[in-house]
Amino acid sequence: MMPLDRDAASADALLTDLYLDALLAGAVLDLVNAGPAGASGRLDPATARAAERLRHDLVRVHPSFRFEERLATRLAETAFGMHIPLAVGGDARLLPFPARPASSPPDDLVPPDIRADAAELVDLDPAAHRERTRPLLIGGALTSAAISLAGAAFVAWRIGRPGRTATPMARAARAVREARLAAATAVRPLDSPAVRRRLD
Amino acid sequence: MEAAQRDPLAFDALYRRYLAQVYSYAFYELGDHHEAEDATERTFLAALTNLGRFEERAQPGDGDGASTFRVWLFQIARNAVSNQRRARQRHPQAPLEAAALVADPLDIEAGAAARAEAASAWQAIGRLPADRRRALVLRFVEEMSTAEIAGILGKSEGAVRVLIHRALRSVARHMEGRER
Repeated sequence: MMPLDRDAASADALLTDLYLDALLAGAVLDLVNAGPAGASGRLDPATARAAERLRHDLVRVHPSFRFEERLATRLAETAFGMHIPLAVGGDARLLPFPARPASSPPDDLVPPDIRADAAELVDLDPAAHRERTRPLLIGGALTSAAISLAGAAFVAWRIGRPGRTATPMARAARAVREARLAAATAVRPLDSPAVRRRLD
Repeated sequence: MEAAQRDPLAFDALYRRYLAQVYSYAFYELGDHHEAEDATERTFLAALTNLGRFEERAQPGDGDGASTFRVWLFQIARNAVSNQRRARQRHPQAPLEAAALVADPLDIEAGAAARAEAASAWQAIGRLPADRRRALVLRFVEEMSTAEIAGILGKSEGAVRVLIHRALRSVARHMEGRER
């Protein structure tokens, strides 16, 4: 294409762009018939009609409410997991997991420039990570990659929360557990069949 | 945006604000509600987990509240859609069923006419090459500026203007051909 043609194409494209700005803003601008002030050309009427049709027909589509809430819940859980290192104290430090959790998105969703920035902070080579599979230390709590941060926080909350006799089911479960513990630690008499079998 | 970077739990506000935009974009690209949901989910999960790496590129001269967050989010969405398409090993289809959204369900005659017109528009953009269709969807559905689209597609503003101009002319030719 000759430079002159290229300039003409750019001018037409700029005119269309100005028209679309006005059209999408809902402004009244008769570029089709009058042309903009100072512009050398006029917008092709067929192009303008197509733009008006697309503006009317290409509607924004909203997902279902159920999907919206399900994803909101999942994001909140993920955000809660990210929030824990801040909550456990300033000394907490997050080490890279040896393997990516199944729920996390693949790295190739992240734009290349962001991935490059990340590569300066941590070693993203999976082969290197395989060699140093370690437990994760967060603010003094030892856990493994198999246990999620949110799960660890939930267990800690269940153990430490006040009012342990809250529900009949909890009381029943605790009674069973205590009975098992008592049976396991009970002192057996020396003449019991179990002790005799061991001594023999 | 800054609140969400300080506290990931504040991400919900960003999610609610941009959900329909990201979902619409994915739906127009993939032509299927379920696939659009998958791509939307991946986009927001990736955005949340990488939120700390987002850098605001808007300048003070760009105006109050100007942000490049939407461009960054749609770059992620674009990659998510591409991955989705590659994974399913199929070509995008024009989502004709969405045309029913445009028609008034109480006015059957006008509804039929509107559906026919909408179907024509859908067919027209469905026949465009991917980059032209993408640019039109971002311009008309998401109502993005040329600068934003350029940031998402990785092209210059001039190139995006020409892309949209040519896409519109193709749509116009298609519509005129049908009307004859």
